[in-house]
Amino acid sequence: MSTETGRVVIVTGGSRGLGAGIVQSYLDSGDLVATCARSRTDEVARWQDDPATADRLLFSEVDLSDRPATTAFVNEVIERWDHVDVLVNNAGVARDGILGMSRDEDIDLVIDLNIKGTLHITRQVSRRMLARGSGHIVNISSIVGLSGYRGLAVYSSTKAALDGMTRSLARELGSRGIYVNSVAPGYLRTEMSHGLDEDQLQQIVRRTPAGRLGEPQDIARIVQFLTAPENDYITGQVIVADGGLTA
Amino acid sequence: MTPEPAHVRETISTFLQRNGKGTDSLDDATSLWGDGLELDSLDAAELSAVLEDSYGRDPFSVGDAMPDTVGDVVGFYAADAG
Repeated sequence: MSTETGRVVIVTGGSRGLGAGIVQSYLDSGDLVATCARSRTDEVARWQDDPATADRLLFSEVDLSDRPATTAFVNEVIERWDHVDVLVNNAGVARDGILGMSRDEDIDLVIDLNIKGTLHITRQVSRRMLARGSGHIVNISSIVGLSGYRGLAVYSSTKAALDGMTRSLARELGSRGIYVNSVAPGYLRTEMSHGLDEDQLQQIVRRTPAGRLGEPQDIARIVQFLTAPENDYITGQVIVADGGLTA
Repeated sequence: MTPEPAHVRETISTFLQRNGKGTDSLDDATSLWGDGLELDSLDAAELSAVLEDSYGRDPFSVGDAMPDTVGDVVGFYAADAG
């Protein structure tokens, strides 16, 4: 979808699932892609071993809730590629369960990574974008942040928070050529359709006008659209991509 | 490496020109804020990022007190040399 190559792109949580799909999309469009995740996966190994992508991929094992490690990751990207054109905040973790039974540790884990970690890396990267006067930021939120979901109160809270961050940052940075949007995916056939058994997934499919679950490529295409250099007008928006489930 | 005061002033001047702000009297006493360069909070964040990009650190992100004048910014780097 992208018509421009050679952008410097950071995708958090890009080692598997949706994040890996977004990384693959930017590699396919010829961009330089840095990604971080808590562990290296076969997908990352494949990119690192492939001569077509090895030089255009930077991977670091970083837990986004670890601020010094995240700062070091951003600095490594700057040292290697000088700047950041695109930040995709995809990393997230979920702990499902009724809130009344949730442990403090689980609540902290989700909030520390999904909100505080995302705010921290966005602060680091947006400073670099401010210094250059350009950039695109996309926050991957979720339809559960808009509609809610039984058993996902904490996760839903963090995704709604990301949408609030999107709107505020868009207002804050728009005058400096930095555009900020959210993409709120519906239910994807990835590991983040956590806790849903096959019957539940089929029920979701039946209720979805598009008649299927989402794929990472469905979301990656929207992220590419929003971060294309020619997009200098759409900002502060939450784009829902759920096959019409919440229409 | 500690930047020369003239380089720091030039960085500030370039930043001000980029943002369409006048630089007629960029001396040490010139206030960064309302009665001087009239930087707002976003301008300050931008200048902070530009200075960090140029010199690795900046006076807006270190310590409790924000710089008030051009001289405070220049002095922040001069203090490194001392």
